Amino acid sequence: MKSTDSSKMTALRIALMAVLTATVVVFTLMVRVPTPIKGYISLCDVVITFSAFLFGPWIAAIAGGLGTGIADLIGGYAQWAPLSFVIHGAQGLLIAVIARSGLASGVPGDANILKLILAGVVGMVVMAGGYYIAGGVLYGFEAALVEIPLNLLQSGVGVVLGIAVSRAVLKAYPPVRSLSL
Amino acid sequence: MTTSTFVAGRGFLYIFDARAKLFTVLLLCVMVFLPIRQTGLWTLVAASFLSAWYATDFKQALQPIKTILFVLVIMILFTPLTYRDGEVLVRLGQFPLATKEALVNLNILVARFLGITYICTLYMWTTPMADINLALRWYGLSYHAALVLTLAFRFVPYIADSFRMIQDSHALRNATVSDGERTGRHRLADLMPTVTAALVVALKSIPHLAMSLEHRGLGRETKRTSYRRLVAKGGLFTHLLLSVMIPTVFWLVFNTL
Repeated sequence: MKSTDSSKMTALRIALMAVLTATVVVFTLMVRVPTPIKGYISLCDVVITFSAFLFGPWIAAIAGGLGTGIADLIGGYAQWAPLSFVIHGAQGLLIAVIARSGLASGVPGDANILKLILAGVVGMVVMAGGYYIAGGVLYGFEAALVEIPLNLLQSGVGVVLGIAVSRAVLKAYPPVRSLSL
Repeated sequence: MTTSTFVAGRGFLYIFDARAKLFTVLLLCVMVFLPIRQTGLWTLVAASFLSAWYATDFKQALQPIKTILFVLVIMILFTPLTYRDGEVLVRLGQFPLATKEALVNLNILVARFLGITYICTLYMWTTPMADINLALRWYGLSYHAALVLTLAFRFVPYIADSFRMIQDSHALRNATVSDGERTGRHRLADLMPTVTAALVVALKSIPHLAMSLEHRGLGRETKRTSYRRLVAKGGLFTHLLLSVMIPTVFWLVFNTL
């Protein structure tokens, strides 16, 4: 039985994807912030933004897409699972790509704060736009319009907390840099 | 936190092979977007609801409607207002509240949304997660992707428990404020340290998991063994044939007769 040199990287990558996916599921289903209109917004976008800033595009895309997809399945919204997989996957991927662009070394979270905000705003547009199109196809573009402000609020909170949490985790747990692939 | 979506029940859907059932779900979800008669769409919704009722019970069968009730209300309120053309049925002064075309469109949208919701939910209720994973593997999902999926399901309860403990610990720091007095501001102030601590706990488990995977042989070139296989009673071909026949018969009945 031969063990390839890349097996360590493969194991680490799989572990990263699995744990971050599970974290997205927990933050989607358990952590909810009440809104003034007696509704709730989930904090899945915080983990997606955090994953994008610390672990790059592919990890963020898989963790974000798979995590929200699983949360939809568990939460009783199975019809949304494939759509969430694509929308949140694209959100994580784009946030990380923009945050990482032009960065010579370190994690994307080390980038200039303005670049992180820009990346987050693009993520917000992708998320809100993606759900508008998906909702439009599923139950009509008129009804889907109603969800845009809530989706923007949720992803906006995700970006703000995502940036803050990324910085806090980099300070509280420096070995996280060694996990970044 | 319970991660299983499987609901124990009875009937054909529990015997139907997970691979064939997945194909039926896909075909039916595509079918509702094709030009099908409204009676056909509602028959599909009724058949899905009755299947859910027979497989589980009435209360459980109503569950999908409860989860999408808010969206249904929004659809009923907003869709008719945006269609002004056609025969006006209800008018408020000069403003047409509902036209015939708007109601036809609303009818199709509601039936389609309910149909997709029931079809997908029924698949999740009647198929154990391990079988779904094996079905996806049969359709070409890589070993590594299936492993990520399985591990994620294993880790959800662990991370959920850790999060709950951290949340309780942070709440104790404000022990002078009773639960009844805790406002949104208190909860929001607790959020940042709780979220940071929960993420650090999750991140600390990653190197251990990676080492465990290596020790279990991940990366070795020998073929992986599987303890569980999907068995289709009566043969997989029969189940796959049924998976194509169900949507086809449905389509033919409601579009040619």
